[in-house]
Amino acid sequence: MADRYFRRHLHLGWWTLLAAVALGLGLALLRLFDVETYQHPAHETRRLMWTLAHVHGAVLGLLHILFGVSLTLAPSLAPPSLRLPSRALTAAGLLLPVGFFLGGVSTFAGDPGLGIVGVPVGAVCLLVAVVATARGQ
Amino acid sequence: MAVSSHDQAPLTRTHVRLGWWSLACFLSLGFLLELLHGFKIGFYLDVGNEHRRLMWTLAHAHGALLGMVHLAFGLSLQAAPSLGGNRQPVVSTCLVGATVLLPGGFLLGGIWVEGQLTALAFLLVPVGGALLATAIFLVARSVPRPR
Amino acid sequence: MSAIRRPRPSARPLEPAPPSSWPLAVLLAASLGLGLAAFANFDPSTSEDQVTGRPIARPDNGYVSSDTCQSCHPGEYASWHGSFHRTMTQVASETSVRADFAGVEVTNTHGRPMRLERVGDEFWAEFDDPGWEGPDADRPRIRRQVVLVTGSHHQNIYWYATEHERGLNVLPSVYLIKEARWASRSAVVLHPPNQSLAMLDGHWNAICIACHTTQGKTAFSTPFRSEAFRDQTIDTTVAEFGIACESCHGPAEEHIQAHRNPVQRYRQRLTDAPDPTIVQPTRLDPQRSSQVCGQCHSVWEFYDLEGERLANEHGLPYRPGDELRDTRFVAQPSVDRSSDAIRTLAATDPEFLRGSFWPDGTIRVSGREYNGLLDSPCFRDASTPERTLSCFSCHAMHKPDNDPRSVVNWADTHQMATGMESNEACLQCHEPIRANEQAHTRHAAGSSGSSCYNCHMPYTSYGLLKTVRSHTISSPSVTESVRLSRPNACNLCHLDQTLGWTAEQLEAWYDISSPPLSEDQRSVAASLVWLLGGDAGLRAITAQAMGWTPAQAVSGTSWMVPHLGEALGDDYDAVRFIAARALRSIPEAPSLTYDFDGPREVRVAAAISFLRAWRGTPARTARRAPELLIDADGELRLDVMRRLAARGDRRPLFLRE
Repeated sequence: MADRYFRRHLHLGWWTLLAAVALGLGLALLRLFDVETYQHPAHETRRLMWTLAHVHGAVLGLLHILFGVSLTLAPSLAPPSLRLPSRALTAAGLLLPVGFFLGGVSTFAGDPGLGIVGVPVGAVCLLVAVVATARGQ
Repeated sequence: MAVSSHDQAPLTRTHVRLGWWSLACFLSLGFLLELLHGFKIGFYLDVGNEHRRLMWTLAHAHGALLGMVHLAFGLSLQAAPSLGGNRQPVVSTCLVGATVLLPGGFLLGGIWVEGQLTALAFLLVPVGGALLATAIFLVARSVPRPR
Repeated sequence: MSAIRRPRPSARPLEPAPPSSWPLAVLLAASLGLGLAAFANFDPSTSEDQVTGRPIARPDNGYVSSDTCQSCHPGEYASWHGSFHRTMTQVASETSVRADFAGVEVTNTHGRPMRLERVGDEFWAEFDDPGWEGPDADRPRIRRQVVLVTGSHHQNIYWYATEHERGLNVLPSVYLIKEARWASRSAVVLHPPNQSLAMLDGHWNAICIACHTTQGKTAFSTPFRSEAFRDQTIDTTVAEFGIACESCHGPAEEHIQAHRNPVQRYRQRLTDAPDPTIVQPTRLDPQRSSQVCGQCHSVWEFYDLEGERLANEHGLPYRPGDELRDTRFVAQPSVDRSSDAIRTLAATDPEFLRGSFWPDGTIRVSGREYNGLLDSPCFRDASTPERTLSCFSCHAMHKPDNDPRSVVNWADTHQMATGMESNEACLQCHEPIRANEQAHTRHAAGSSGSSCYNCHMPYTSYGLLKTVRSHTISSPSVTESVRLSRPNACNLCHLDQTLGWTAEQLEAWYDISSPPLSEDQRSVAASLVWLLGGDAGLRAITAQAMGWTPAQAVSGTSWMVPHLGEALGDDYDAVRFIAARALRSIPEAPSLTYDFDGPREVRVAAAISFLRAWRGTPARTARRAPELLIDADGELRLDVMRRLAARGDRRPLFLRE
């Protein structure tokens, strides 16, 4: 069972990390080529949102990997039930970066777009995952 | 073959636990910061509070990353129990100290945007940074060079 | 079997670290030292509430300041931040003070030279005490700190702490930014040479605050100048220095409270409905929206002393969206010259009308564009709101995101709305002309004569040592030039042509009858009639036109040089300044070393030297024509010039910019 979660989270982690790195490269290119849809002074909120999407995606990718590796290296420290933390972490890994990204696609001046709704939901899922894992130690 | 608790490095449990709880703590801070954004709270978002926003964002980021460093260290110990050599207690203490002082210093430094207390908070950050650097240096130095 | 290899404990124990702990100790000590150094050098700034000696920003009564606007409106905040509205008044600082204060001595000042000093972040000046009432020879020196700055585009006017409560007075010199030089305070205002400009303690607090800040409260214990300044308590505060968001949108506290809730905020963003918690001037009807600008950009006065007293205590009562005239009298002599209010104003200030208005009651000074709008047929005679001109027809208070101009460029060009720098500003209503502009303008397409602005909003409003476009939209009229001594658009470009010439063109093209013209009006270039015989304001307008690139291209410039050279000897500082600037823009003119604000004998000598140098240049004889008062030998027709000057309007004139 732990092995299944280990593989799932390693898989999710590295792919999430790849997506985040790709997004980061994309943002760097948008800067390099001074693309107006990203660089225009009026799009400050978009720049912030997409940067947050990149950072949180990368961090969540690493978290997936750490979670998975911890199940294998220190199985006695794993929580008794892996289902909740695993699902919560999976949800967070999707909602947080995607929420930030969608929040930057269309913005309302100083406010992100409606996609930002995914972020607080994802944050709660992440908190659930982390606390459930910590409590299981 | 699973590694049994009998083989487990002594500090692994400490740092894996610390890592997850640190993450819980500083992710909560991140959630709080999002709430401040969502509700457009003046003392966080008004012009003139850029310093506070920066400090608290740094506290959130550094705290979360330090939580992951704890996890990485704890799990690394499981794979390499003699990591850090006879300096393991020092490494452990430094990491714990860094986790308190680095994000703590940023957090305190953002509470007051000016005044002597802000400056006092700044004292904590370089000390925490030094502790982190020390811990990482000691760990890195103890890893044998690849052949 | 899993393809993923599980890590195995290391087979070879790691080598132990050396026993010494001094590197850690050194590192910790160094980081602690770094932190202590930062702590020791930390210099917390004084909060605004603790500041004494000058007016402070203390938003209240529903005002919250622009600090709260940026997080939701970053684009609008950014364009406002780059505008000259924001910098109308600033606290003196390294960024707001454009002049060099470090050990500088300023001779262009009233009295003995002013000595400037920079002490850390503070700016200090030592100068003759303007409040001294004893013999001039005994006038003492005072040393005061500069605390506020007015202007950032053309001039920096510095206000110093009088050391009595929050009262301010103005330094005896003004810094001209583009010219990077100082000039005495009175020299930058068009006023009679024999009339000194009073520099009164408390002037900023009582007068300037109304239009140069957001919700300023004078807070004098008794009316300004009703008793000795030093006997009054002065607790002047503003919601914000400069013209900030709430000047145009009204107090924002309710708006902020309502939109802290993200659900409410997003609901508002997703609808196009007006927000009842804040005023959006562009959503108001043309009359009310223009009054938002008119609250400052007009000639106005309190209805009575009670109104002034209430404003002193609580700030001006006008809020964007209100009917402006409910709380103040807006002077419009073109309509209500015989009203009691105008009569009362004229009784207390006999030059009130002449100092701001042309004889027909239209505005003649800059900064009062709302008065111009009131008298424009596009506003006054419009039949529907959609076709009523308003300030927002042409100007934008925030640069649109899709406007390709930079914020700096947009601010520097009068905050024109996107595309409104062209004829589009007029064609948006006068659509039929679009099909054949040339038929209407009678000038080549794309030329300066084909610009709506140049014909219908010529540079006839004076202010800030230059002219701005008249905002009384009108058509060129020789009759007005004759009757009102107001330059017409044609002759402000065709500076080398007579009024008679212009009248003939207007009659031929537009069937406009020519008024009776005098011999000089038929035979002498209109610009020279104005430059020699006009009042000081007219002379300034004409000199400015001679330095205007499109007019120079149309009229040629060589003939202007001696006439502008003569203007270097004008009695009015402003006329001399503008003449000198125009000369420096003319390629044929010899190099000019001249200080318009220097001692008279030096100025005269410089002007004579310049004219002598001019006589030795080939350009002197480049263009000779009787209407240009240059005879066949290239000599000036001094007889005609003297006659025009003798008959000219030499009444003292003080233009109230």
